[in-house]
Order: sequence, then C-alpha cells, then structure tokens
Amino acid sequence: MAAPLITFRQVSKVYGRGEATIRALDRIDLTITQGEFVSIMGPSGSGKSTAMNIIGALDLPSSGEYIFQGIPTSGFDRAQLTLLRRHMLGFVFQGFNLLARTSAVENVELPLVYRGMDHTERRRRAMAALEQVGLRGREGHTTQELSGGQQQRVAIARAIVTDPAVLLADEPTGNLDTKTSGEIMDLITRLNRDNGITVIMVTHEEDIAAYARRLLRFVDGHLVSDEIQASEAAHVV
Amino acid sequence: MWFETTKLAWRAISRNMLRSFLTVLGVVIGVAAVIAMVTVGNGTTAKVRDELSRLGTNTLFVRPGQWGPGRASTEAKRFTDDDVTAIRDQVSGLRAVAPVNRGTVTVIAGGANRSTGVIGTTSDYLVAQDWELALGRDFLPNEDRGSQAACIIGETTRRELFGAASPVGQSIRVSNVACPVVGVLAVKGQSGMGDDQDDTVIMPLKLHQRRIGGTTTISSIILSAQEGVSTAKVQSDVESLLRERRRIAIGRDDDFSVNDMSQIAAAMTGTTVLLTGLLGAVAAVSLLVGGIGIMNIMLVSVTERTREIGIRLAIGALENQVLTQFLVEAVMLSIFGGVTGIVTGLALAYGVVSYLQVPFVASPTIILLAFVFSAAIGMIFGYFPARRAAQLNPIDALRHE
Repeated sequence: MAAPLITFRQVSKVYGRGEATIRALDRIDLTITQGEFVSIMGPSGSGKSTAMNIIGALDLPSSGEYIFQGIPTSGFDRAQLTLLRRHMLGFVFQGFNLLARTSAVENVELPLVYRGMDHTERRRRAMAALEQVGLRGREGHTTQELSGGQQQRVAIARAIVTDPAVLLADEPTGNLDTKTSGEIMDLITRLNRDNGITVIMVTHEEDIAAYARRLLRFVDGHLVSDEIQASEAAHVV
Repeated sequence: MWFETTKLAWRAISRNMLRSFLTVLGVVIGVAAVIAMVTVGNGTTAKVRDELSRLGTNTLFVRPGQWGPGRASTEAKRFTDDDVTAIRDQVSGLRAVAPVNRGTVTVIAGGANRSTGVIGTTSDYLVAQDWELALGRDFLPNEDRGSQAACIIGETTRRELFGAASPVGQSIRVSNVACPVVGVLAVKGQSGMGDDQDDTVIMPLKLHQRRIGGTTTISSIILSAQEGVSTAKVQSDVESLLRERRRIAIGRDDDFSVNDMSQIAAAMTGTTVLLTGLLGAVAAVSLLVGGIGIMNIMLVSVTERTREIGIRLAIGALENQVLTQFLVEAVMLSIFGGVTGIVTGLALAYGVVSYLQVPFVASPTIILLAFVFSAAIGMIFGYFPARRAAQLNPIDALRHE
C-alpha cells in the first residue's frame, strides 16, 4: 500500500463560543493515500466544506492534527500554509473563480507568476496545461468569451499547471448542465488515472460522486461512512 | 515578478480610467499648484534680482533706520547737508554722493497735468544711477545751489505732458513751483518692482526741500564707489563716520543703514520667498487631501476585488505579494497624478509668467521633489488598504459576492 498523503488524527473544528458553539468537525480520523480519487458527500452543515478547507490548507483545525506527507501542520503560520497550497495543492471551485477580463492562458499562468517563474517557461507550461484540458486554440479568449464548461476547464488547467500532489474540487459541476458535467468529470477522472493526481472532490450529487473510487459521507460533523465503490469503470471513457 | 506586478497594476488602473483620473485629481491639483506657484515665484525673484543688479554693484544706499522687511525707518533721524558734505570730504574712493528726497505731486504743462514722483537731488544723481540724458543738460552749479529753478523729466512724463513736442526750454509747474525743463532722461523702463522709472521729475535738492518737502533734512543718500574700490570698505567707512556724527554709543545698534544692491535684493526677494513658502504650505494641504482620496478609492477597490484577492491567496500568493500588488497600484496612481500635476503646473506657470513678463525658471529640484512626494503619498496612503487586502482570510474572500 502507498504511503499516506493526507492524515486526519482526531481533527475537530469548532466555531463560536459558549452557547453558540458549533462543532463543524468532531474528532475525525482519516487517511488518504497518493493517487486516490475521493468524493465527499453530506448535507449542508455536515462539515464536508470544513474538512475540504482544512485539507486545502485554507483553515486550521481547532484540535487534532492534520498531517500532509508525514509533516504535521499544526504549527504552520499563514505563509507556510500558503507555500503548502502553492506547491502541493490545486483548487477547482464551483464558481470557476477565474480572473475577469483576463485571457485563459494568463489565468493558467497565475500560480506560476507567484512562484517567480520566467515568462517563457510559464507560457510553455500554461499552454501544455490548456492542451491537456482540451482548450488548445482558445488560450487568447478572455473569461467572458468562454462557456461555463470551458471556464471550468481553464480552472482545471490552472490547478494542474503546478503539478500538484492533490487536486481539490469543490462542487466542480455545480454550475454546469448534465452533459458538460459529464465532460468535466471525465477530464478529472482521466487526470487521476493518467497523471496520478490525487483527487478530492466535494459534491452533493450522487451520480457525480459515483465517478470517485472512494466515497466519504459526513453528517453533523461526523464521518459516517467510508466505502470503496465498484462502479468507477463504467464511467471512464 | 516586478514587471508582472506593474502590468497588473496598470491593468487595474486602466480598467476604469475615469475613476482613476478623478481619484488622483487631488494630487494633480496639489502638485500643479506647488509647481505653478514656485515657478512663478522663482521667475519674479529672478526678475527683481536681475533688475537690481543692473543698477550696479558699486552703488550704496544710505537710509535712516534699519532697512528690511517689517522694519519701519520713519522713526529714525534724517540726514543733513553736513552729513552729505562730511561723506564727500572724509570717505575716499567715491565717484558720486547724491542726496535724495522724494515726493509725489501734480505736474502741469499747458493743459495737461499728471501726478508724478518728484526727486530732489544734485547732478551727482545721474552719475550714481548711470542715467544718461536723451535731450538737454544736467543741472548747472547755480541750479544745484537752489538759486535757479530747473527740472529734468523722464520719458513717460515728457510724453504725457508734451506729446510729440520738445519740452526743453518750456516751463512746467511742479506743485506750485514754475520750473523750466532743461533735460530729458534716457528711457529706463520698468523697475524690478514693476513701476515705471521713466515717470519722474528731477529737480535740485534745495528747491525740492524748500518748495515741495518743506524741510531742510535729507531722507536718503545714494553713493557710487569708483571702479576698483571695495564697496565693503566704503560701506564700513560711511557707517563709522555716520555713527560718529549721529553720536551712537558703542554697543548700540545703528539707527541708519548702508546697503549695497545685493543686500537690498536679498531683502526684497525675502518677501517673495516667504510668500512662496506660504503658498507651498497651502498646496501641501491639498496634497494631503489628495492622498486621502487615493486611500479612499483603494479601500473601495480592495472591497470590490475581495474575491479576486481570495483566488490569488488560494492559489499561492503570499501576503507580501498581494501587499506589493496593491501598493504598486496606489503608487502608480499617485505618480500618474504627480506627473499630470507637474505638466499642468508648468503649463500654468508658463502662462502666468508670459503675462507678467518675468522669466520662466523651472526648478528641477522642485519638480523632482513633487515627483518623489507624490510617489510617497501613494506609498503612505496605499499601505493601509494594501495591508487590508493582504490580510484577508482566503476562505471568506472566496465566498465574497
């Protein structure tokens, strides 16, 4: 078995204090290994987004330990969390979150800009990433000139351009129609299978979650089920 | 990285050109005001200095009282004929010693009349002032003694009273004194202070004292040192002689002053410098207001772009990188305002100095200072909004609508 990539050890997240205390995550233990494709499901308020934020190094647990590639993150400051995101994680959001009035290739280049990479190398990598998501030839189009599905492809290209260990997708098909959703999910599945990127995806749609090999269900801050799904192969193109 | 940051900042600014322009208008006005005021001030000062220096560096002015801005000279004792004689006899190296009394009276010739400055002096006056005659002659000895009336008039006075006709030999009435015109002065033009030096009537001191001033004293003395004689030496000789004659005890201040042109120029331009400084302070306040304008719009910009900042933070922008981005944007805005202000100010100053007929003296120091100052304003007032952007929580920022 591969080495654990992500480990939660008794992770809790508490918001507010006194009477108004909300326990968003309650002592979660969880291990995700390199190359997995994991879906996280649960009703709103179940703690799935909180778990996603902690995995994404956007938030720190109130107690317990989040271990990334064997390194405990509890003492990390803002800059260290940023560097973890910059080098290890790629994000895809429900609302695409591309920069407006900016061309596709410039959006994809953005994480590389913050790494201080020179212009030529950056452009080469961004073009390669766009090619991978099937948007070759549209690199000059601005965000407004692209359809929803195309925008999400640009967002995926932006997430993978840094060769991250993990792709974090938060409701990646939430704003898309069924046909486009299928195309996006096929793309993500292919990246997981062919490039070996670990994918962790939050969704509330059963048929989208079905693309993943492993399914986690959260209810009221508890991890209530963790199962391996057999149906994966049926969806792969 | 710097190129990227600058490009991003420029994109943010140019995205809303009108708003950016209105944002920096305060800085534009502030900088333009400073540049225009200082440039016009410098031009005026240069003109005054130039005019005064043209009067000669070997000329000394002796006046009662201490002379300078804010110092009244009316209290001090005036000079006497004996003071003039003593200076002439006891101070060596002098070319001319001209006592001068001034008054403004009505001058009449035929049907024309005019209010003009009348100077009572001796024939040394024209020597001391290096003033040529265009027509006629200087005062004769008997006229200098006051036994015979005579007048020399300036070109403006001649034109106003006589038109095209030659005045020499004609008679004018100066106040109630009938006075034959014996000469006309060469044209001298405007003085450094802007008044017409050719609008004048010169008459012998004795006549002026008796009939115009009603006095036997003298209000000032103009000295001209010979070529190659140190004016500093003459100045100190005259000072010690007058201290003695006016019985000023050792350790007491002089109740008169002896100045050369450079000292008078310094005193006159001192007023201009003070005024320039004052106007500069007013302009500095408008720059402060301009800076607050920039801060205000940068705060709005940070709020508007919260989501964008969230994206940047999520995909790996460090706090410092976001801070730098917004700082560069603010500095670029204010420099944009500063440069616009410098150009506007210079254009404005050019118009004003052309109108005032003073030289256009653009000071590189003040231009550089305005540039640096406007950049600093962007830095100072941009820092707070930029820090606010950098310290946003990425989760909240990403959720921001």
